[in-house]
Amino acid sequence: MNHRLHRVLVIVFTIALVLLAIEYAFASEIQRIVSLSPNLTEIVFALGLGDRVVGVSNNCDWPVEAKQKPKMGTFWQPNTEAIIAAKPDLVVCESFLQHKEVAETLKRVGLPVVSLHAESIEELYNAITQIGSAAGCSDKAEPLAAKIKSELNQIRIKASSAKKVKVLWVMETEKLRVAGIKTFINEIIELAGGQNVIAPTGDQYPSVGTETILTSGAEVIIQSAMGTEDITKQQEAADKFWNRFANLPAVKDKKVYVIEADTVLRLGPRLPDGAMAVAKLLHPELFSQPKDQNQGDQTHK
Amino acid sequence: MTELLTPKSLISKIALCLAVLVVVMFVCSLVGTQKISLSAVFAGPGDTPGQNTDYDIFVRVRIPRIILAALVGAALAASGVVLQAILRNPLAEPYILGISSGAALGVMTAAIAGISWSFVGGSPMAAMAFLFAIGTVWLVWFTGHLAGGSTVTSLLLAGVVINAFFSAVIMLMTSLIDSEQLRSTIMWLMGSIGEKDFSTLLASAIFIIAGIAVLFTISQKLNVLAFGAGEARSLGVNPRKITLVAFALASFITAVAVGLSGLVGFVGLVVPHSVRLVFGPDHRQLLPTSALLGAAFVVICDTIARTIIAPAQLPVGVITAIIGGPVFLILLSRYSKKVGNLR
Amino acid sequence: MSICIQVENLGFSYGPQAQILKNLSFEIPAGTFLSIAGPNGAGKTTLLNLLSGLLKPASGSIEIDSKPITSYSVRQLAKKIAVVRQEFIPVFEFSAAEVVSMARTPYLGALAFETDADREAIAKALEMTDTTRFSDRPLGHLSGGERQRIFIARALAQQTPILLLDEPTSFLDMKHQVGIYDLLKKMQIEKQKTIVSVTHDINLAAQYSDLVLLLSADGGYNFGPTREILTTERIERVFGVRTFSAQIGQTKFFFPLGRFTKNHSS
Repeated sequence: MNHRLHRVLVIVFTIALVLLAIEYAFASEIQRIVSLSPNLTEIVFALGLGDRVVGVSNNCDWPVEAKQKPKMGTFWQPNTEAIIAAKPDLVVCESFLQHKEVAETLKRVGLPVVSLHAESIEELYNAITQIGSAAGCSDKAEPLAAKIKSELNQIRIKASSAKKVKVLWVMETEKLRVAGIKTFINEIIELAGGQNVIAPTGDQYPSVGTETILTSGAEVIIQSAMGTEDITKQQEAADKFWNRFANLPAVKDKKVYVIEADTVLRLGPRLPDGAMAVAKLLHPELFSQPKDQNQGDQTHK
Repeated sequence: MTELLTPKSLISKIALCLAVLVVVMFVCSLVGTQKISLSAVFAGPGDTPGQNTDYDIFVRVRIPRIILAALVGAALAASGVVLQAILRNPLAEPYILGISSGAALGVMTAAIAGISWSFVGGSPMAAMAFLFAIGTVWLVWFTGHLAGGSTVTSLLLAGVVINAFFSAVIMLMTSLIDSEQLRSTIMWLMGSIGEKDFSTLLASAIFIIAGIAVLFTISQKLNVLAFGAGEARSLGVNPRKITLVAFALASFITAVAVGLSGLVGFVGLVVPHSVRLVFGPDHRQLLPTSALLGAAFVVICDTIARTIIAPAQLPVGVITAIIGGPVFLILLSRYSKKVGNLR
Repeated sequence: MSICIQVENLGFSYGPQAQILKNLSFEIPAGTFLSIAGPNGAGKTTLLNLLSGLLKPASGSIEIDSKPITSYSVRQLAKKIAVVRQEFIPVFEFSAAEVVSMARTPYLGALAFETDADREAIAKALEMTDTTRFSDRPLGHLSGGERQRIFIARALAQQTPILLLDEPTSFLDMKHQVGIYDLLKKMQIEKQKTIVSVTHDINLAAQYSDLVLLLSADGGYNFGPTREILTTERIERVFGVRTFSAQIGQTKFFFPLGRFTKNHSS
């Protein structure tokens, strides 16, 4: 080989290596993370970045360490001043209007912001990947996403062997609101071997009339626990409420369940636990042996 | 003649109110959930982004919010003065003739249609709120005109009917939007002072200040309008023309304010009323002083809203109501007992 | 004398069944004092509103200084005609002086502040109506009569060649009734103002006006010099009431007689 060409190649190669090293160094230099959304916080912690978190929203309550981190305002109204004062080198937030406005202010300051739209299971994997690459730990993000995917898949495969159970998923009872087709809750229902009795609607969480409920033929009714009231009390109240729909198979067979919301209603790393809990309710015969009962009994019957 | 307004006394009152506004803005810029020091601010942004947090917070968070709060307060107060004059009713406020339901409808439409383009740096919500507010006001004027020749009563009637109709449409639409967008939309409508970029602030400032300035030139005619359309005409003021011009300008600046901050209530009702109690009803004086004091009022309320339950924030409309109500009652009891007003 | 106000075939109705004025024609020379009288509902106030440009005639025309009234802009017309209607309290508490100052609106410049000339006009108007001492009080704190005088002061401060007044003395005590009419007469004589005054008081009309327009409830009218128009027969026909008339000096006075008056000879 030509001596000159050799030298040029070596120089180019070294420069490339140095650039790569710099990029890697910068990427892994993310030391101060602020997360403005509970499920994104769970993802950050699940990626092992928990000790690099310097700020969370008031609503971030899992894991326990997250609760003790400095507060950056509520989920709906983040406190821009607190975020800036925390000197983050990465801010993770969602992409709805209020978060978008905060993100724009932070970008004007020059802070790196990752805005994510996390409303479906596919978007959850995407969020994990994006956070991983922004924080320089794509090597952890891939396996995390894969693990969630595979656990969900296992549930899906097992549940597909049984006949689909008709499910009505209730968000609120005072002014009856249910989870519709275009929600990630519906994805969980289908994955766990169920079928939403609600036909496609425009609104994701529509309010429905008594007639719709009466003619739905729901075989299982799942109600997300609301507020901080004791779950036993909520179950009692639910039983009382649903008694008026005595013709529904779910009420006749006493398959009205109040379920802990945090795992199922959060698109985060604990989703498989939530899906498993739902699967147990829909197909107890298939899922009776608890595989990963890590949070204790999540439902109450 | 000791009682009539002179240019000199007007300028001194405006200067006083402007001084109050400047002091309020300065003091409030130093108040927030984080402690910052002014000397650190002057050191500049620093070499890397996010290095001088005092500077970043002051320049990117505090100053834009304070400017925005002042603009919104000025627009709403000035608009309230004008609407009270046009409708000859001290209980009128800027949203009364369709703006609130129009803005709400616009925002809902933006949410449903998934519009994503932005307007002078504002969000699509802002643009749609503004456009629909203006459109609704025009519709109210047109309907009032059809119904009864744009007298005050027909305007009010048209406003009530259209508000009711739009509210029904809005309720229909809420069943079509997906829920997270709905919540975002409703929260935005509730009114909040956020941080905008400087080009948006500049454009808004130009619109609002220009609108108030033009309103000032017809403020003497607004005095005359208080005596009714017939009397106004005999005194050389075309009531139809002045009402239209005043209404259009007031609605315009209100719509700009709504596009910036959602529906901040109470300011447009309480500030003109209170300033009138102290300074008297002459609109040449009432308009500029209300605008300046309205600006100061919203700046103070916003500062309280974002610090009082830190790190959470209250919507600024909650504070304007909580503070505005008692302050107004105090003024009412102190000043209305006197024979003749304090000038 | 030039004709100041010319009315030709004026017709007006408030609705298909309510024709108030029909084919009304008369001329008011400049610098005369005209009283418009008639029973309730005859259309006196309507006529005044037509003359001031507030209402548009259904038929016929009105000319001010030989130009159609519609050819004047609102501002121009306000420099020609000042109107005194029923007093009232506006919703905002303007002081009496501020109310009078609004008369200067047609003369104010772009920045809408009163000049010294404006202030002088206002001060004189207050003086002439004997209202200076309460000029800084809000209108709501004055009696009805005091308010009425403020509205008259406002019309005077407007410095117009024509003054239209709708029952300007209805709330005034005797001293001020005569005082106001004296003032109006003085304006007519010294400043050649044309005064048109709607009044219920036949005797004030008789004492002060040069011309009388008597409107009947059926749409008919009589127009002419005071002495010719105001006769007992005509008054009984138009007003439906018998009067006793007495002549004092140049003026004939009329005293309405009811069924139970003392000295009634039935």
